[in-house]
Amino acid sequence: MDTDDDFMSNLSSEDDMLPDDSDNDVSGDEDFGFDDEPDVYIDSQKDIGQRKKTPFDVSYKVFQPQDVQKQQDELIDEVNMILTIAKEEAAILLRYFRWNKERLIEQYMDRPSQVLEAAGLAQTTAGPPKLRTIPGFTCDICCEDEPGLQSFALKCGHRYCVDCYHQYLSQKIKGEGEAARIQCPAEGCTLIIDARSLDLLVTSELTERYHELLHRTYVEDKETLKWCPAPDCQNAVECRVKKKDLDQVVPTVACLCGYRFCFGCILNDHQPAPCQLVKKWLKKCADDSETANWISANTKECPKCNSTIEKNGGCNHMTCRKCKHEFCWMCMGLWSEHGTSWYNCNRFEEKSGTDARDAQAKSRVSLERYLHYYNRYANHEQSARLDKDIYHKTEKKMVLLQKESGMSWIEVQYLNSASQALQMCRQTLMWTYAFAFYLKRNNLTEIFEDNQKDLEMAVEALSEMFEKPIAELADPKLKVEIMDKTSYCNKRRVILLDDTAQNLADGAWSFNIEFMNSTSNSGPST
Amino acid sequence: MSLCQNRLQEERKQWRKDHPFGFYARPQKNAQGVLDLKVWECGIPGKEKTIWEGGLFKLVVTFPDEYPTKPPKCKFVPPLFHPNVYPSGTVCLSILNEEEAWKPAITIKQILLGVQDLLNDPNPESPAQAEAYNMFKRDRTQYERRIKQIVRENAAP
Repeated sequence: MDTDDDFMSNLSSEDDMLPDDSDNDVSGDEDFGFDDEPDVYIDSQKDIGQRKKTPFDVSYKVFQPQDVQKQQDELIDEVNMILTIAKEEAAILLRYFRWNKERLIEQYMDRPSQVLEAAGLAQTTAGPPKLRTIPGFTCDICCEDEPGLQSFALKCGHRYCVDCYHQYLSQKIKGEGEAARIQCPAEGCTLIIDARSLDLLVTSELTERYHELLHRTYVEDKETLKWCPAPDCQNAVECRVKKKDLDQVVPTVACLCGYRFCFGCILNDHQPAPCQLVKKWLKKCADDSETANWISANTKECPKCNSTIEKNGGCNHMTCRKCKHEFCWMCMGLWSEHGTSWYNCNRFEEKSGTDARDAQAKSRVSLERYLHYYNRYANHEQSARLDKDIYHKTEKKMVLLQKESGMSWIEVQYLNSASQALQMCRQTLMWTYAFAFYLKRNNLTEIFEDNQKDLEMAVEALSEMFEKPIAELADPKLKVEIMDKTSYCNKRRVILLDDTAQNLADGAWSFNIEFMNSTSNSGPST
Repeated sequence: MSLCQNRLQEERKQWRKDHPFGFYARPQKNAQGVLDLKVWECGIPGKEKTIWEGGLFKLVVTFPDEYPTKPPKCKFVPPLFHPNVYPSGTVCLSILNEEEAWKPAITIKQILLGVQDLLNDPNPESPAQAEAYNMFKRDRTQYERRIKQIVRENAAP
């Protein structure tokens, strides 16, 4: 009914309570409104985004699983040393404070007992957790009381037998996927079971799963960290673009595994379109693309009530089933004005007919506008979906070309870079169409469309060259052409992204839909 | 004997030894006249000094095979007019929710006392039926009048 996630409520909760903001930024990050948690893992970072030079680049770092583990261990060690509490307890405290070490230490210094209680830790410092056999003990869960029964209790003293504990923990870990906040099985007791106690109570298989879940919560707890969404990739990416800035920047990051994705919404790279537009666009496409296509091709609307009508036979005298309006299928005019020239409409001059056709044309225009953008988007999407295919084809081609022309592996690398450029540019082009659909026309859009056209033409040209048979590819002249075109494509892409990102950051675009970041003044969401 | 049966037998023993005033709780007899420990018939009295005072409400508590790992299901028979009782009669309460506050150490006594508390202290955050919830939110006098009438209809003997 109530409970669960208001566990922060008795402490000053989210960031906004604390004067920990801005101005002491050490990392030298620029203008994207970066949060400034001090960097604690400088030595373990892999700085991929060293080159922050264009408006559409954001800085980020990629962490491999061992880095993530190391970060956690370092934080735990630090808290363990400063506050002289056991490591497992330090871990529980850190998780409770969402790994914000400064806040933890500050609050712990102020009022240690409240912090411990809120985090689910006991005040007393007893020895290490231990299984015990107590004479006359009865387990309150299974009501077993046979002598020699092994039992366990957290520091709260709520004692249960090992079997019941095991069952309880396996239900939590396996059944519910819970790890960081497994409480003592006693009613109302909020003490959290620590990793060391858990190791005593369950089999190694469960322990493994438990630690995996804990590991996962670290990344999920930190707003600046996200898992790479690529299948089988275990890396995490750190990026400091805040949620509220997502209408000004499109934070595309590339994982070490090569997957490029948007840090804001975890979707595939969608530059230059901002996350909100992407969400709207995808929803729109899921709603009506194919249906709209068919409707446009096969139906007309009743000039009076706009019901969609498919004419599947019969004559031109239509009677709308909904509003009983009678009209001519050919000219969409009133049937009554047709006089006696039934079944043979050759009149295009009557006013009612023109009006009806106008109204219909208007509704068609918006549909056609959407389809215009959608078709181009879908076209590039399809090409992008063939990515993998292209990649393998390229490799084959490179091998073949080596054989045919006697070029070395390094000499044929230009094909690889061409294929990569094609994929990247198509991905970008695809989203330019979604972006353009929501754009209001003005002088800036002229520039945008020119950029788009340039890039598209270059990409098509490169694509054509790339598809040429091996025999022609061996021609050194074509090689130079492909290399030129590749670098031209890459350059055009950068220009286009620069332009859009700059205008986005400046708020210079105007959109034809309500486009506001609704989350801008709420705190970090959970 | 299974954990579930064992625990329920012990619960029964404890209840017979001592239970809060005004409550009753006993395992049902099945068709063959044999006690079925997994279904209990319980009675919850309205708390003194509340609008629920004087009422006695019948609750059927059904224990799953996984009890006490998983919580039992509590259902008012007939369904009760209350913001946190589903139209089927099932009670919506955090300690009865596996995903929320259920703990294997919670006893039947604690459950029944918890449901009794809920009667006069509904949780508007998780409404389970529209009628009682809306009336509770919009027209407290009418709500209380209705409760008093229900108490009269379900008076404790």
